[in-house]
This record gives sequence, C-alpha cells and structure tokens, in this order.
Amino acid sequence: MNATRNTFVFGLGVAIALLAGWVIFPRALYVRQNQLLAFHHKTHAEKSGFTECGQCHALRDDGTFGGIPSSDTCTSCHSERMGASHDEAVLVDNYVKTGQEVPWLVYARQPANVWFSHAIHVQRAGLACAECHSTYGQSDEVRIYEQNRLSGYSRDIWGHSISRIRLGRHDGMKMDDCEDCHRRHHVQAGCLGCHQ
Amino acid sequence: MKITRRDVLVWGAGATAGLVFTPVPWKLLSDISIWTQNWRWIPQPTHRPVDVKGSFCTLCPNGCGIRVRMAAGWPVGVAGVRSHPISRGALCPLGFAAHQLIWHPQRLRTVRHRRSTSSWDEAHVAFAKACTEGPVVIVDGYPGHAASSLFEAFAEKQRGSYRVVSGPEAQALTPYETWSGVPATALGYDLENVRTIVSFGAPLLDGWGTPGQFTRLWAERAAGAADPDLRLIQIEPSLSRTAARAWQRSAIHPGGETALAAGIARVLLEEQLVQARGPMPPLTLAQSAEQSGLSTDAIRDLARLIVGRPPVVAIASDDNPSIAALNVLLGAVGTRGGIVQKSKHAKSHLPAESELDSVRAVLIDSSVPWDFVPQTDAEVFRFAAWDGGSSKADWLLPAPGFLEELTDIPTAPTSAIETYAIASSLVKAPPGVQSAAQFLGRVDPDLTPVDKIIHTRCEALFRARAGTLCAQETTPVAMIPSVEKLEEQLQSGAVWMGEPQHPGGLRCKLSEWPQATRSECPPCNSLGTWRAPVLPPLASKLYQESSLREGPERRNP
Repeated sequence: MNATRNTFVFGLGVAIALLAGWVIFPRALYVRQNQLLAFHHKTHAEKSGFTECGQCHALRDDGTFGGIPSSDTCTSCHSERMGASHDEAVLVDNYVKTGQEVPWLVYARQPANVWFSHAIHVQRAGLACAECHSTYGQSDEVRIYEQNRLSGYSRDIWGHSISRIRLGRHDGMKMDDCEDCHRRHHVQAGCLGCHQ
Repeated sequence: MKITRRDVLVWGAGATAGLVFTPVPWKLLSDISIWTQNWRWIPQPTHRPVDVKGSFCTLCPNGCGIRVRMAAGWPVGVAGVRSHPISRGALCPLGFAAHQLIWHPQRLRTVRHRRSTSSWDEAHVAFAKACTEGPVVIVDGYPGHAASSLFEAFAEKQRGSYRVVSGPEAQALTPYETWSGVPATALGYDLENVRTIVSFGAPLLDGWGTPGQFTRLWAERAAGAADPDLRLIQIEPSLSRTAARAWQRSAIHPGGETALAAGIARVLLEEQLVQARGPMPPLTLAQSAEQSGLSTDAIRDLARLIVGRPPVVAIASDDNPSIAALNVLLGAVGTRGGIVQKSKHAKSHLPAESELDSVRAVLIDSSVPWDFVPQTDAEVFRFAAWDGGSSKADWLLPAPGFLEELTDIPTAPTSAIETYAIASSLVKAPPGVQSAAQFLGRVDPDLTPVDKIIHTRCEALFRARAGTLCAQETTPVAMIPSVEKLEEQLQSGAVWMGEPQHPGGLRCKLSEWPQATRSECPPCNSLGTWRAPVLPPLASKLYQESSLREGPERRNP
C-alpha cells in the first residue's frame, strides 16, 4: 500500500514538474508585447511594388546596415492619414508629423558584444534574408514581441522552441546557430569575426 | 487522506527528477549567465551608428596600428591595420581587448597619498616643495615620446635626472652601444631580410618586439615547411611555445646561454666557419658543454647549422654580452638581415634600475610597468591608470587610460626602420585624471606642452621632406602640400616611415671576449625575463594564467 502511494506521489511530482517546465515556465519567462503599430509587410510590398527586402532595409553607402526605415521613409506615403484606423492616426500624428522615430521592438536585435555585418552575409555570402528572418517579410501577421525577463533579449534569439530543437534554419540566433551556419558554409570566422 | 511528511519528501523528489527532463535548469542557467552580464552598473555600448577611427596601441612602446570602432563616442572594438608598415594588421591579445581597459575595476580615479584620498592640489604642493628642496628624478617607460621631451626639459631645469625603464628587447641591444658608440635606441633588428635566427630564449613567436611582426614573418616564410626559408633555432631550457614551434630547439641548462654562446663562438673560430677574426672565448669547448648541458658534438653541429643559411642573427632575451659578441663574430652587426642602425638622431639614456642616491623625489610616468620599484628612499609620485595593489609610492596619481590621451609613437625598440605616428585622444578622460606631462606643466608653466611638441616634430618631418606616409596608400612626404595636412593624416592613423639607413654604417670593436657576468643568473630565458605591459598586476596575472602568455609558473620541468 505504501509503495503504491509513494509511486503515485512521486509520479505526481514528476508530472507537475513536467507540466511546469514545458508549459508554464516558457509562458512565465517571456513578457509578451504588441508592436506599437500594426505594420503589414505584405500590404506594403504590394502597394509600393517593392519585391526585395533591401529596398526598405537598405545597406548604407559605407556597408553598414540601415535597419528599420526611419519615419522619413513613411512620410512619402503617410504625410496625411491614408485610412481611418487608430494605428494610422498614431503614425501620422505622433511620428510622421513630429519627425520622431517609431519605437519598434526589434525581434532580431543581438547583444552588444556581437558584431554582425549584413553586408558580408547578404552581399558577399549571398544568403537570403529568410535564412535568418524566416518569411516574416511576406506575411501580414503582426507578431507578438516576446522579451525574456532575465536576459532582456527577444525570444527570436533563443528560438521559439524552448527545448532549442530548431524548427527551421531561421529558428534561433544564438552563437551555436551562427557556428552551425558557418560550419555548413565552410566559413572560419574565429572569435574576433563576431566579437570585435 | 492525510498528507504526511514522507509524502512531501517523495513528491519533492519526483518534482526534482521531473525538472531534470524539462528545459528549466538549462534555460535558467543560460539566461542567468546573460542576466549577470547585463546588470545596470556594467557598462554597455550603446546601439548607435558605428564610426571607425585609426589610431595606435599605446600599451607597449611598439605602437601597432589599430582601427577603433566607436559607438556614441565610446570604443567598442579594436582591430589591426594592414597598412601599418611594421605590425601589418597583427595585434597581441591584449591589444584586441584594450578598449575594455578604460572600464577596468581597478581604474584609478582619485589621488591617493599613503593609502588615503588626497587631491591634485595637495600633490602639486608636495611635488613643488620637493623640487625646491632637492633634485628630482623623472622615470619614463617610453623614451622618445613627446612627453619624454617634456620630462627631459623639466629634469634639466630642476637639475634633476631623466631615467628610463627599458624592456628586455631594448636591453638586449645595449652591449652594441658599448662596442660601437651608437646608442642602443638607434639600433634594431632587420628581421625582414634575415634567414636564420638563433634565439637565446627570446619569445619570438609569443609577443617579442612588435607583436605580430615575427609571427607574420613566420607564417609567410617558415610555418609548415620542413626546410623553411626562415630558420628559427630556439635555445632555451624550457619547451616554451616559441621553442615548440621553432625549426630546431636546443634544450640547455638554465643559465647556460653565456657558456653556449662562447662554445659556438669557439667552434666558429677554430673551424673558420666565419670570416671575422674575433677574440677567442676563454671557455674551452668542454667547459661550454658542461655549463650549457649540450655535448661538445652538439655544440659543433649547432655552430655549423647556424652558419648554413646566412644572413644569420642571434637574439638574446636580455643584455647578455656573450650573445652580442657572438653576433659580432657572425658578422651580423651592421649588415643586411642583422643588427642595423635605424637612426642618426637617437640618444642614450640613464637606466632607472640603478640606485637613486641623494634624490628628493621620484616621479614615475604611467608608461612604466607597475613592477618597477625605484631603489630610493625619496618621495615617490607614481602615475598610473590602474591601481596595481601594493607599491612603493607615496603618491598614487590617476593617469589617462587607453585612447584617452594624445601621444605620439616614435620608432619601436626593435624596428630596423624609423617610424613616427600620432595616437589621438579618442575618448574623453574621466574627471580627476591627469597625465604626468600635464602635472609637470602645471608645476612649470614654461614647459612646452605635448601637443606643441608633436606639432614641432611634424614640422621637422615636413621640412626634411624625407620618407613616406603609409595609410591606405603610400605617399612620399615630399608630395604632401602642408604641415597641417601631414599632421592631420598622422592624427587619422597614418604612419610616417623613414628611409632605410645603410647597414654598413654600424661597426663594433670587440677586443676581448666579454666577461661572463650573467652565468649566475638562472634561468635567463623568455619566461624569466618577460615583463607584462603597462597593466595592473591582476590583469597581468590573468593574462599569464589565461594561457594568452606563458608565465614562469607555467614553465615545464
């Protein structure tokens, strides 16, 4: 009787731990935040006629990456409200007209000790943007930004699977993922290649 | 059903066992380690557009060219510069991480007087009083800099003395000064043209001279070849990293370098393997063999091997005169691929290691390594960017750190050709920090400040119209339109390189074989003589123990 009871209690402990570890812990670890504005990549691509990511996310003349386009870029179309949505009003009134930058939450922002050159990876190595950023640029989904409470990094850095079992090449941007890609492409970057 | 204490324990054991099969421990381990890196008091570079500036490393006197990546006015990365004529893109591990030194936890930020907090005013009053009461000695670690001129001028006006602490590479050239009359600071090694190097414990592949220069030569001309174009014969008691990679290695008794040099010289003369007719060493071959730990046959073979592929030069790890005399016999002094005269304007300096008698005060510049302890009872004013712990200093004065001070970079101690560069101040020094030159300038306002000395030196280079300016492109100085343009380019990371001197201008007179003064100094090898750059002892210790550089405690038996 005692053995059965002990097995049951032990199993209950295991089950609760597994439930907590695989279901509750990932939800508790990340803070979920919405982007300030609902930006739809697909809609913008269709209306602007742009087909390449680099047409908005351009490299500067000196080879550095421009990142997210500034509010000035929005001005060319959104100098006045183009619709009746709340987000459109916020964009035009608070950012386009005032010249302030929209505080976008950047999914792929790397830690400060990482030196990553888009020019080397895109232009020299010929990698497609989707290799790291998935097909987000072709969707009209506005993703939730999930921030790790401890590290402060975006969930995209760790990858969406809490177990680090990667669902695709784009899933995860940790050093292991960089090394894995370098290994596949027979690239030896060394420590100082990324940590200058 | 009653829950017992046993149930709680069994449940806890089950939960613990279950947790091992969840990502919780591993994910928390990763995240907590990152969390500790992001505490708010740990300095973080800001995300801003990156600006790249050219400058020079000032951690040692060799002044390797660096590219500094700046974000929001702060350095966030350092890399080598391929266009630098000496370092050619190579840096030592310390140089690569040097931008972090300004955040070092042992950074000195306040004036200290005998372990108590003091002020610059009190330090000025104390030093000015000392100057009126007796002679003052200024100790410099990087002779030839603009600040050195200021130090010399101050010492001369105060009827004091200017002394220099030299590194082992510079000290190894001092015997030639005695025999040739040419100051050791005017000499260098023509490593680009040498084909055989006999290194008596010098850590050539491990940071000797200009870091990276020899490593690059080794990679280009020797690495991986069974019979390389550049032969390195390492004579050393321990299997250092240089010895492990050398073409040939001779393991000798600690302190046996002097005897072995004499033994090799005896074989060279007896078998007429060299053209020079020098004095015969007093040691017999058997005595050399006994003291060095090699057999007589091994010494004979070594001597024949050395002369097999000229030009050949012997490099000592200290000022051992026997090794210098061996170079004279080998004909390596004043010849291409040997020891050459790089400058006609250099002058010799008094060493600071000797006892400083009848001195009222000693001022030590921040370029002097922390382990230098002046042999004196005088009041010591020690400038340093980092607190190195216990020190024989009455006054500890916070100095500018890496990239925080405008300074110039004269020719590296081992270089065979004259160079000149300017390391601009890329970062604003924290409040309460002063260089020794600024300190002396306040004591004596008539002294010419460092920036004006640098400008005067640029004017002299421009007027001479000699040499070339090495940046992305090489431009003869004669093609540069104005001194302002020359100075601007130098401040942006360009290097002036002089014309090579004719090697035949250096002659050494050796009437008798030098006395074996250092045989009682075991072990005279790279590990025993290596000195950390200007860093606090803790950083030096970490540097040694982190396998970046071997220290004596890592010596093999």
